[in-house]
Amino acid sequence: MDPLTWTGPVGSFLNPLLGIGIGVFLTAVIIQSLMLLIREEDPIVVNPDGTLARKTGLPGGVERIITLSMLLIIVLLLAYIVLGVITPHGTVGIIGGMAKQFLPVWIALIAMFVISMRYKRKLGLYGKLFDSTVGMIGLGIVMFWVFTALFTGVFDLIATHDPLAQVSGLKNKVPGVPMPDADAPYAHYLLGGDNLARDIFSRMVHGSVIVVAIAPLATIFAFMVGITLGLPAGYFSGRLDTVLSFVANLILAFPVILLFYLLVTPEIVETGIPSYMAAFLFVFPLIFFGVLLNSRYYTQPSKRTPILIVVLGVLLLLYLSMINQKGTVIDFLPEWLDLFDLDILVVFVSVVFVNSPTVFRIVRSLALDLRTRDYVAAAQTRGEGAWYIMLWEILPNARGPLIVDFCLRIGYTTILLGTLGFFGLGLSSESPDWGSTINEGRKLLLVFTHPPLPPAFALLTLVLGLNLLADGLREESLRD
Amino acid sequence: MADRDYTGPILEIDKLSISFFTRLREIPAVMDFSATIQPGEALGLVGESGCGKSTVALGVMQDLGVNGRIVGGSIKFKGRELNTMSAEELRDIRGSEIAMIYQEPMASLNPAMKIGRQLAEVPMIHEGVSEEEALARALEVVTDVKLPDPERILKSYPHQLSGGQQQRIVIAMALMSKPSLLILDEPTTALDVTVEAAVVELVKDLGKKYGTSMLFISHNLGLVLETCDRICVMYSGEAVERGSIEEVFDDMQHPYTQALFRSIPLPGADKNARPLIAIPGNFPLPHERPDGCNFGPRCNYFEERRCNAQAIPMTQVHGNDRHQTRCLRHEEIDWTAPPEVAEKKEKGAIGPVVLKMDNLKKYYDVAANALFGGGQKKVVKANETLSFEAHESETLAIVGESGCGKSTFAKVLMGLETATDGEILLDNKSIGNIAIEDRTTKNVADIQMVFQNPFDTLNPSMSVGRQIMRALEIFKVGNNDAERHQRMLELLDLVKLPRAFAERMPRQLSGGQKQRVGIARAFAGDARIVVADEPVSALDVSVQAAVTDLLMEIQREQKTTLLFISHDLSIVRYLSDRVMVMYLGHVVELGTTDQVFAPPYHPYTEALLSAVPIADTSVTKEHIVLEGDIPSAMNPPSGCPFQTRCRWKANVPGGLCEKEVPPVRHLAEGHQVKCHLPDEDLQKMQPVIKIAAE
Repeated sequence: MDPLTWTGPVGSFLNPLLGIGIGVFLTAVIIQSLMLLIREEDPIVVNPDGTLARKTGLPGGVERIITLSMLLIIVLLLAYIVLGVITPHGTVGIIGGMAKQFLPVWIALIAMFVISMRYKRKLGLYGKLFDSTVGMIGLGIVMFWVFTALFTGVFDLIATHDPLAQVSGLKNKVPGVPMPDADAPYAHYLLGGDNLARDIFSRMVHGSVIVVAIAPLATIFAFMVGITLGLPAGYFSGRLDTVLSFVANLILAFPVILLFYLLVTPEIVETGIPSYMAAFLFVFPLIFFGVLLNSRYYTQPSKRTPILIVVLGVLLLLYLSMINQKGTVIDFLPEWLDLFDLDILVVFVSVVFVNSPTVFRIVRSLALDLRTRDYVAAAQTRGEGAWYIMLWEILPNARGPLIVDFCLRIGYTTILLGTLGFFGLGLSSESPDWGSTINEGRKLLLVFTHPPLPPAFALLTLVLGLNLLADGLREESLRD
Repeated sequence: MADRDYTGPILEIDKLSISFFTRLREIPAVMDFSATIQPGEALGLVGESGCGKSTVALGVMQDLGVNGRIVGGSIKFKGRELNTMSAEELRDIRGSEIAMIYQEPMASLNPAMKIGRQLAEVPMIHEGVSEEEALARALEVVTDVKLPDPERILKSYPHQLSGGQQQRIVIAMALMSKPSLLILDEPTTALDVTVEAAVVELVKDLGKKYGTSMLFISHNLGLVLETCDRICVMYSGEAVERGSIEEVFDDMQHPYTQALFRSIPLPGADKNARPLIAIPGNFPLPHERPDGCNFGPRCNYFEERRCNAQAIPMTQVHGNDRHQTRCLRHEEIDWTAPPEVAEKKEKGAIGPVVLKMDNLKKYYDVAANALFGGGQKKVVKANETLSFEAHESETLAIVGESGCGKSTFAKVLMGLETATDGEILLDNKSIGNIAIEDRTTKNVADIQMVFQNPFDTLNPSMSVGRQIMRALEIFKVGNNDAERHQRMLELLDLVKLPRAFAERMPRQLSGGQKQRVGIARAFAGDARIVVADEPVSALDVSVQAAVTDLLMEIQREQKTTLLFISHDLSIVRYLSDRVMVMYLGHVVELGTTDQVFAPPYHPYTEALLSAVPIADTSVTKEHIVLEGDIPSAMNPPSGCPFQTRCRWKANVPGGLCEKEVPPVRHLAEGHQVKCHLPDEDLQKMQPVIKIAAE
């Protein structure tokens, strides 16, 4: 087998075209910026029939060139992917190979966009997202990684090799290197091998599973804690608020990395502090849902009691399995009841712990603002309980800023997970998560640049996608 | 400047059209609008919210934002076309020759800059004068707007001044460069009535003194009557009638103007002979305007295939070259015909006492140093010895300006706060010291409230039906969801909303419809006492009448006791049986409507009556302008709370007003005032509002 080039034989005529497209685009952009410097932008002309006519002449021409060249670039980039998918392995090189591996992701993305576009008017805020280009790009990138994680983690599709398997002779080999064994199920290491001769592409893809599984879940927990404490702090204010805000500031003032180091130190783990913290932090979803449902249905006990029993029962079981950890201080559940063991409990605890004070502060300030509304006063004057007002009158109306913050916060959590992995905290050193792989690649960075780049690029795109998504949501939620 | 000698009209707007462009469509905000302002003349621009009156003002300032564009017509200022001016020329004119005063004074002042510097900036930028000279001129203008202690004012920051003072500063800033045209966009809407009266008085005086032309934008016909020479009524983006104040008020030639006048209560008229008539239907959205006449679908004189055939031009009213109307039928309609009065409904007889307040007091402790809880404690006396009775199916109006303690009173009554002293008796059972969570469901359901702001009264993320259902659940009405659903639909019928509205979200409803849902929610538990906190003041004039009528109709059917909190004395006179006037926590006057609205008055009532703008040219008012602002409840004056602003104070011997709180005096059966004035002075008082004999 020959080593793969980046674009394969197809590249020999697509690459020059792409080069020309990019060249024209950049020149036109430079010319346009120079023209803007020289003269003010032409005013938009209003036609008698009420339509708007935009710039003509030279400025209009340049603008048309920019649009056309951008279209060309996009078409060419799509061509790489489409050709890669439909032609046999090797025709479009590494890029084609990767495009082929991601085929299920492409199908899922196209299906999602087509369905959402068709029903966007019925889908509320999510549907409105499809009115904003930025939001759609963000959603596309985020969902790319979500689908990647889904197909890798659940169906074992996308990865080409076992992320932990070492193949002798491929140590630190450049992208596109062929397998020494001709019978291997996949003929190449698409993105090369790392310093332990493992496939970088497969490790990157497997790393997404860890991020996509932990980051949103940890953020949801942080939100539960923040909301359950922030609402009463803002609604009642007074002494309760002073105490809670003080504690939140205390946590925020503590250096995050130091906190992580402390939490994973074996001596500290032995004292049981992380387990107790888990027991404390993870009880908040129970409180949240218990109060939420009770305040809503307490006037109809016949309806409330069964709902509460079912919901709280399921949550309690999950909660106990989660905090129950073999070999730690909390280990009392019989084997058959312990549904799963979370081996990254410490990571989970620390991420929730440092994120919840920020959420707390956001929720608190929103509650402070919303509690002066007349509909809150109306609820008070008909004798509603405080928790009903907080959870059903205030919280739903604070959802806009909270959803935006949720997206941003998943991004922060992703970076935080990367940081944890980079410092080798909490996760095993073999783990394919992006932080750990970047850290390993860093050691030989001066000699071999290719191992840390793919995970770094993956981390960058996911966080960028989340930020764009948050921007799009913010923009669309403000518009009505 | 050369054009100081210009003698033609100051502002000529000719066939102006302004549109806003959104992603979906072009939205025409103003169409075919013409107006002329002569030097020294004040033009009033009247219309409901969304009719485009502010857009005209912004068009004159050429400040329409990114989406707005002038799509036709011309705006000439002193003969120069504003539409084609460059940005620099416009900068020169704005602020120096055309000045604008906005609705919210706090938002138009820079909170980080001292007043003096902000004022001095104007001549320093436009005329390049030195800072000392500019500050000297600032001092002069601040004195002109009648602010006390101008030197101290110049050194203070905006947040240190009251709302009325801030608006005076904004006016002063507009006058700094002696503009030829002053645009006032609802300049007094955010202020209290007595303060509003003083500001309006000031604007009128200054207009005369400086010879400034004014474009006065307001939704209040009474205010326009008091300030302007000419008036232009706008409806849905078009001017529908234009003329001098007398012509338009007494000889209206457009059905919308007529409907507008018929929907506001006038103190000169009797409520039985001249009931309020609401304008049917809703204001059309800009992209849903009908063909032909925009007012057609709501008009009584509508004629099919004539009024909706083509666009209707502005035409001269016969025999008057400065009075125009946009109505095809204005010559056929008999404008003097009295309105068709719907069948007169008898008011329910007033029943036994339901609610009794006895010496109710509510004090708040305010710690001087909030952080450490130390320092001296201050007591704010929000309500002071409040005593009154309210009967079944009676409307008791509570009148007063902000800070008079009416909201605190409502809170204590509802049980959100407990009384410091005294008692509230509901059916002879004391509830004054029982917080709402300890009250029985029956008690809570009995006393309900209708709120002021329609955009805030409904939870935006819950459907209308769900919100009413929740109230029913809480009040334990109905045994299951099906029964409650049925009851909810009946409540929607009660407030005359279609049943389909149950599924709607609040943002899909107009202001008046939201207020109706608020009323339905209040009556969910068959409330017997309803506190209506300015229920119509945030609504447009044309829907105010409909909501008011609805409240009174429900009252007739349910025998509800209505506690109507308001500062609008016209509407109070129209619907209430008894009136209670409050000032700084004290009840200064209490009596039947006729007693309170006729002399002898309490001096504060007298001033309030005089401050209300009345849209009726046959009414003459005595002008009583109160000096200064309402004192802070944190630091009330000694003795009588009103003594700092009272014009009768000199008639009381021995400075008694400053020493003692006046006792409650009974002047007649059920009429009480809190005043030191001797009887002969009270008897000497003249009626404030006089209706010219016809």
